[in-house]
Amino acid sequence: METDILIIGAGPAGLAAAFEMASKGLDVTIVDESITMGGQLNQQTQVIPSLPSSFQSMRGFELAAHLTKQLEEYDIRYLLGHRVIGFYKDGSVGITDEQDVFAVKAKKIIVATGAAENAVAFPKWTLPGVMTIGAAQTMINRDFVQPGKEAVIVGSSDFALDAALQLSEVGVHVKGFIEKNAGILSRDLEKIEQVKKMGIPIYLDSFIKEARGMGAVEEIEIEIGTRVLTEKVDLVCVDGGRSPILDIFYQLGCSFGYQKELGGWVPQYNHQFQTDRQDIFLAGNAAGISTQGVLLVTGMLAGINVCEAVGAITKTIADEEKDFLWKELEILETKYNPNIWEARNRHMENFAHPVIKEQFLS
Amino acid sequence: MDKSTIICRCEEISYEEIEEVLTNGATTFDDIKRLTRCGMGPCQSKICHSLVASMIHEKTNTPYFQIPLPRMRMPLSPIKLETLATNSTSFSSVKSVMDEVELEDGKVR
Repeated sequence: METDILIIGAGPAGLAAAFEMASKGLDVTIVDESITMGGQLNQQTQVIPSLPSSFQSMRGFELAAHLTKQLEEYDIRYLLGHRVIGFYKDGSVGITDEQDVFAVKAKKIIVATGAAENAVAFPKWTLPGVMTIGAAQTMINRDFVQPGKEAVIVGSSDFALDAALQLSEVGVHVKGFIEKNAGILSRDLEKIEQVKKMGIPIYLDSFIKEARGMGAVEEIEIEIGTRVLTEKVDLVCVDGGRSPILDIFYQLGCSFGYQKELGGWVPQYNHQFQTDRQDIFLAGNAAGISTQGVLLVTGMLAGINVCEAVGAITKTIADEEKDFLWKELEILETKYNPNIWEARNRHMENFAHPVIKEQFLS
Repeated sequence: MDKSTIICRCEEISYEEIEEVLTNGATTFDDIKRLTRCGMGPCQSKICHSLVASMIHEKTNTPYFQIPLPRMRMPLSPIKLETLATNSTSFSSVKSVMDEVELEDGKVR
């Protein structure tokens, strides 16, 4: 199979990039391991704060539907329920439909693989009933399954608060937040207020000392400063933060840089969202963990840069659109957390002079 | 952290086992992997690599930007051999190798 552009990942960034390119007449193929488009947005029933100016305020799954719908009029090849398993020597991508493996040759590739949730370890964290906040959210909102009755949340990010609110809505008793830092991580004052109003305690400087149970979690011990609190729970939702999914970049031989604020190791990229492999671009959480609004803008920017690179639009038009989008990205990301915006800029500056070379040949 | 805590859930490698190889001079995820099987299960270190990185950071005082990522190999996620051995004929694959094996009376020649 041959295509102008292959987009790996049909989440917000991948779909936003697809729109930019398909609307300029490019031949676009999108591959995603899920059978639905929109990625993690499908589980997000919360209203997404600060979307780009061309979007109305909406919930995550509505945004997924909107992004899918705006592609309807274009002739895009969808490889849903397909996985990228590797690359061939000639640069073509090995994709499986779970029956066969076939090669896809693309002139340019946009990698929008998103992020993975990080684990949080404590004694007996492998017991059933311990899961990430994303898993709990998927169970409630996609599978309509109640993951437990009595829960605690480890972490206090925006996503952790959203998960707690959604768990409460479906009748799960949330007994507390366990935050290892001295303050709440979420910057959403409204949500914090909402959680406090519901009477959910937030334990700071605290961690799970141990989980106990036979075949499933039944009880946990929480260490809060000098005291230890025992809670009966059958659900522990952990939020260890998120990191970019890198295996495809690694296979492609891209170099990486470390930025804590962007989720740790991030592929090196320049202002064109282009990696050090000239034909490989990236977008979304894979380019640094941020908010949904920012992910969309990075997708649009990657799309426009690819259009320019293959000559589908002139430099003048591309520059005009990019100027606007970079301003929007700055506004959205600075409003959310200026440290992330600064880290992104540092990361892009490092593109020209990577900090460490050959670091992955261990 | 309690030393019995599992760090690699696929291969059931504990904090203590990783601590031991770090004490013996391991500095990267791949060192630890080769010595303990940490990260060699079905998830291929997707779950444990960040936990191991923080252990390396704590035990050896190495800054995170100097702790390399684990080596990631193909296939990027588990795939049935049958699927990998696709019947496509347009490019070389495991299947084409398998096609060259002739069966005779149930035996592989």
